[in-house]
Amino acid sequence: MRKMKVSAPLKVALLIATCSAMLASCATTPPPCVSPQTRNLDHAIEDVKSNLRGGGCAAHFDRYYDELLTIAEGDPKAENKRVFSEFLVWSGDQGLLSQRQARDYYNRYFNVKFTSMQGDYNNCSHTCPRRDRVMLNMERELSDKERGLLKVSLDSAGYYRADELYQEVELVLEATCTACNAVR
Amino acid sequence: MNDLRTRLNARKPAADRAFTINCVPGISLVFSLLVSSHVVAQSTAPTIRLFPTTVVEDLRQTSSVAKEMESGLQEVIGRLDQQQQLYLESKCDGAEDDPGCQRLSRQLGATYLDMLAIMEERLPDMEHTVNNTRLSLEKRLRSELGNKMTPWTLQETLLGGNPRETSAPSPTMRGRSGMRLSERFKQYYQLVASSSSQTDQSLAVLASDIYLDMEETSELIARTREEIARATLIEQLNQSFGTITPEMMEVVGGVKSILFGDETSQMQIAGPPPASIEQAYRSPLEN
Repeated sequence: MRKMKVSAPLKVALLIATCSAMLASCATTPPPCVSPQTRNLDHAIEDVKSNLRGGGCAAHFDRYYDELLTIAEGDPKAENKRVFSEFLVWSGDQGLLSQRQARDYYNRYFNVKFTSMQGDYNNCSHTCPRRDRVMLNMERELSDKERGLLKVSLDSAGYYRADELYQEVELVLEATCTACNAVR
Repeated sequence: MNDLRTRLNARKPAADRAFTINCVPGISLVFSLLVSSHVVAQSTAPTIRLFPTTVVEDLRQTSSVAKEMESGLQEVIGRLDQQQQLYLESKCDGAEDDPGCQRLSRQLGATYLDMLAIMEERLPDMEHTVNNTRLSLEKRLRSELGNKMTPWTLQETLLGGNPRETSAPSPTMRGRSGMRLSERFKQYYQLVASSSSQTDQSLAVLASDIYLDMEETSELIARTREEIARATLIEQLNQSFGTITPEMMEVVGGVKSILFGDETSQMQIAGPPPASIEQAYRSPLEN
């Protein structure tokens, strides 16, 4: 009898522990991180923000950004630049992105300048040894600019300037690197 | 997209082929390489020194040497034209055994040799001035764009003050434009001589374009000079047999079109639609 009296509280404790564990596991289950279901950019951004709040879906940021760009392509307008900029500033404020990441996300798609054309050292020593890679990265970035500037923001002048800049950089780097490498 | 590297690489197999046939197609390629340039006219003072007076003077000199070469070749090419016309009108094509046709053929070959001789005489001057320009530009490019700039500052230089502003009106000098060789150099010279009215971005592109042209031109002139002796010998042998080679005809046509211009119209590509700069949004995230 005495033995039974001891085991009953134990059973209760065990039950409580099991329930707590189950509840805890429910709490840590990752949220579904669903894609925005609307084709309206403003609403889609609100959906994404609500998913990103709290950081549960932060790992899906790239996918969300891509989906938002796709939605914006369906309703291209100059105003979209501002919408994306504000979304990225918000993401920075929420701690989802660093300031630098936010800048890169914006500039890669919506700025004429190339983020892949960066470096703290001179061209002869830094850019020329890896010129092919730099040009390849710029080419990829140009394709993102086509999406951001042309297809999302209808900024054809900006995109054509970026395209022209790409060609100028290619020409100038070819000449400069030839000059840097010349041993006469 | 107009890929300049593709443009440059595309020339090389053509040049190699030309040299195996005859020297003069090489010469024509040399000339065709001297023509490209990106012209941009802006109105702020440059802060990079890509065109010191030595380079300007070298360009002027090259224009002058090219003009002398044109003058020398003009008469001989005119003569070749007449002889070729006479050869065709006399229905000599296919009648090579005819004594009259053989005489015409020898005359044509002799004039062709004259043309080679003139080129052989003028090419060293051309090579000298082209090399001077190339070496001066090489030094400036290495110093101003290679050692004094980072990739970011180079990009900003190319964009100029207003990154949203489209720079070049049109690449009017790129490729064979149908103008005389000396005119092309004259244009280079004028562009560079008035460099105080050009922005850094246009000067960087202009200097790069001229330099790459000079680099390849210099190499081709050297190779052409090596080939002239061989081609002369072959033509002297042809003279003995009274043969007119198809290459001779092609060469004369090619040299004419390049030296004195051709009718080929330049393909015009539509520019971008006008955009409202005032309405352009500027993000706080923008670099």
